[in-house]
Amino acid sequence: MLGFIARRTGLSLLIVVLAVSLLFGMIHMIPGDPASVLLGPRATPELRAELNERMGLDQPIVVQLGRFLGNAARGDLGEDVFSNRPVADIVLEQLPFTLMLVFAAIGAATLIGVPLGCFSAIRRNSLLDRIAGILSVGFIAVPSFVVALYALLLLSVELRWFPAIGAGETGDWASMAHHLVLPALALGLGWVGYIARLVRASMLEVMGENHIRTARAFGLPERVVIGRYALRIAILPTVTILGLGIGTMLSGALFAEIVFSRPGVGKLLYEAVMTRNYPVVMGTVLVTTVFFVAATLVSDIVNALLDPRLRTQGDRR
Amino acid sequence: MSRRDFLRRSAIAGLGAAAAGVPGLCWAEGDVLHIRTYNDVKFLDPALMFSGSEGLIGYALFQNLVGFKSDGSWDWELQAAEAFEQLDERRYFFRLRRGIRFNNGFGEMTAEDVKYSLERVVDPALNSPNAGDMGSLSHVEVRDRYSGVIVLDSPFAAFIPIGLCGGTGCLLSKAAMESVGGQFTIEPPASAGPYQFKSWQAQRKTVLEVNPEWRGEPTDFREIHIYPMIDVKSGELAFEAGQLDFTQTSIEAVDVFRREMPPASRMKVIQALRYYWVGMNQDHPRLRDIRIRQAIQWGIDVEAVIEAAWFGLSKPATGIIAPGLIGHREQADIPPRGDPDVARALLRDAGVRTPYRIRLDVIATALDRTAAQVIQWSLGKVGFEVELRTQDNATFNTMGMESTGERWRDVQLYIMSFFMLGDPYYATEWFVSEQVGVWNWERFRNEEFDRLHKIAMGSSDAEERDRLYQRMQHLMEASGCYRFLTHGVESLLYRDHIEPALRADGYPLYAGFRRAPVRKA
Repeated sequence: MLGFIARRTGLSLLIVVLAVSLLFGMIHMIPGDPASVLLGPRATPELRAELNERMGLDQPIVVQLGRFLGNAARGDLGEDVFSNRPVADIVLEQLPFTLMLVFAAIGAATLIGVPLGCFSAIRRNSLLDRIAGILSVGFIAVPSFVVALYALLLLSVELRWFPAIGAGETGDWASMAHHLVLPALALGLGWVGYIARLVRASMLEVMGENHIRTARAFGLPERVVIGRYALRIAILPTVTILGLGIGTMLSGALFAEIVFSRPGVGKLLYEAVMTRNYPVVMGTVLVTTVFFVAATLVSDIVNALLDPRLRTQGDRR
Repeated sequence: MSRRDFLRRSAIAGLGAAAAGVPGLCWAEGDVLHIRTYNDVKFLDPALMFSGSEGLIGYALFQNLVGFKSDGSWDWELQAAEAFEQLDERRYFFRLRRGIRFNNGFGEMTAEDVKYSLERVVDPALNSPNAGDMGSLSHVEVRDRYSGVIVLDSPFAAFIPIGLCGGTGCLLSKAAMESVGGQFTIEPPASAGPYQFKSWQAQRKTVLEVNPEWRGEPTDFREIHIYPMIDVKSGELAFEAGQLDFTQTSIEAVDVFRREMPPASRMKVIQALRYYWVGMNQDHPRLRDIRIRQAIQWGIDVEAVIEAAWFGLSKPATGIIAPGLIGHREQADIPPRGDPDVARALLRDAGVRTPYRIRLDVIATALDRTAAQVIQWSLGKVGFEVELRTQDNATFNTMGMESTGERWRDVQLYIMSFFMLGDPYYATEWFVSEQVGVWNWERFRNEEFDRLHKIAMGSSDAEERDRLYQRMQHLMEASGCYRFLTHGVESLLYRDHIEPALRADGYPLYAGFRRAPVRKA
């Protein structure tokens, strides 16, 4: 198992370096000038040159990239062009809001989607299965921004049950949870349907296998057969998808953060790209890439823990 | 109780508690004002501020010698100064009111603080990007504890409206600033305005609270919460949900709100000062012939553009200077509708093969894209084939700058808009020859224009300035490089229990917000 984790971790690091290098090149290829944004219309050429030098933009891209990766390895992500604050501080200040949103969305989607999928598989072809199927496909089909807008109009504007903007008062968990409901709903609703369909399909496949028939033949209660023997295997593809889903949601969080005016790395990244604040762009990209790769790594490890065949495959090669 | 019963009852109790804890949300009542602004604060140091939203917070935190009235005009009034007088073209006398106190124990405001505040903006060591707002400020002579004379190197007519009334004219405590090393980013070490800084949470809100040292007219609100919201639509929804007291709206929402206003709300639509125009790079081979540029000027139906992109709410511009300001022209040389026949004739005279292909660059916003599509249509009628290219803000805004590469050579047509303040100098300064390749992307060069700009900048004769600026806009239009579109509108939505204080361009002056008198049905 340790060998498996070491191999995956090494691969993950390589992916992070490659992804960040690629994005670094792309960001510097697009036109735009941070000096113009930062210094305003009256900036003199000397001021612009000084800023470019301070940001290291007068160096070749390869040198800039090398310097960035070297500093990042030491935990130094550079300084915000505007405020001179450490980028690491800025990103870490915003990251909890995005993580809260992503985990609330994916958590709620899992808590609803998995039982819904199991139920559909157990009651296969029943009326309730069909209703669950229609609902699931409906959830998948409706774009997140439509959910966001209608949720805002109905639950916030009309009923005033939930706030339309913000993330709540810091330290007041009830307020923060209250502010989380609508964005998490907008971000996670599609995943409810997706997880439900996935779990249903996996369950149907697993429940036709020999070990389930054997468990039933031994007279084990159906609850035990489903929970301990069927779901444990059927959940594997879902765990993999959840790992990827967290990454997808990190990007999806951007729209939720803008529509609901929440703080978060998505909004931070958007503003940084718009103002060509390169250190913040790179710091945010690095952190989110690491997070995405880590989520995938964790899902691989969880899969390996649940299914011993996976962790031995590498050893046999 | 069975386990199943327990779970069922817990669920019901949970839902009940949640519902009970969720009253009809309406944060906006009481003595706290909730306001949307379009971007987050990065600097509140007057010398370093670079967005309008920071300047607006600055007005609430600091005092200027003189400031804009909050009656929707560009007139100014005394603030920290009890006397202010222009001695000659280069010297301004001021005497401070006694007893203006900085918070955090930094004592009374003196003439030394004025000297420090103004001179630091033009101090080369600080490298302030706002130094230009102070024009040719040389120094401040302190006469006694409360009075002094501001001295300019050369006459600068916009010194009061832009230098002193603007964000860079905010007065700081010298002692407080020195205690923090001469500059700050967000939290001022001391301030003397009606409100003081309470807190700032990145991307969430800035909170101002009443300054206990304030001895001026009492404020009506204990706190002001300012929320940075990129998306104007989110502001509208938050207003409808009861979370905001004041927000800008999108242009397309004006008609919707006119038909059905949110409860207890009012809307104000103000003609803005920003100026929009179609620029033409006269050095581009496809636009070098003035007849082609004039054909474009005559071919664009400005009224149709406004009808589509601004929903008919704004008025056609006659130049770059809006109504109400010195130098505004009553009418442009080319009528708003243009004239397709004149345009076709000009194109024929130019001897080019039609359809004549040109490219129009715009920022990727709904407004700019819509305007561009109408221009594409109206120019299509007279013999042009217009290719549209949309770009993001930062890419677009450096397109014509020589300092950022060779892209300027490829610039043809573009829809551009510039922010504007209450003096015509702020509009014309970007079109002088020195600005070619910086902000003058039309590469418009006209000696008379440059000369008039300098004269108007130094003149204190309002009538003369009016005449000069009108002439300058004529020169711009006659060059064929500009088709003036509009100044746009500022649409504001606010609760009927408040009376917003606004600058002439519709920007809110937070400290002047008042409770509205109770209106009887």
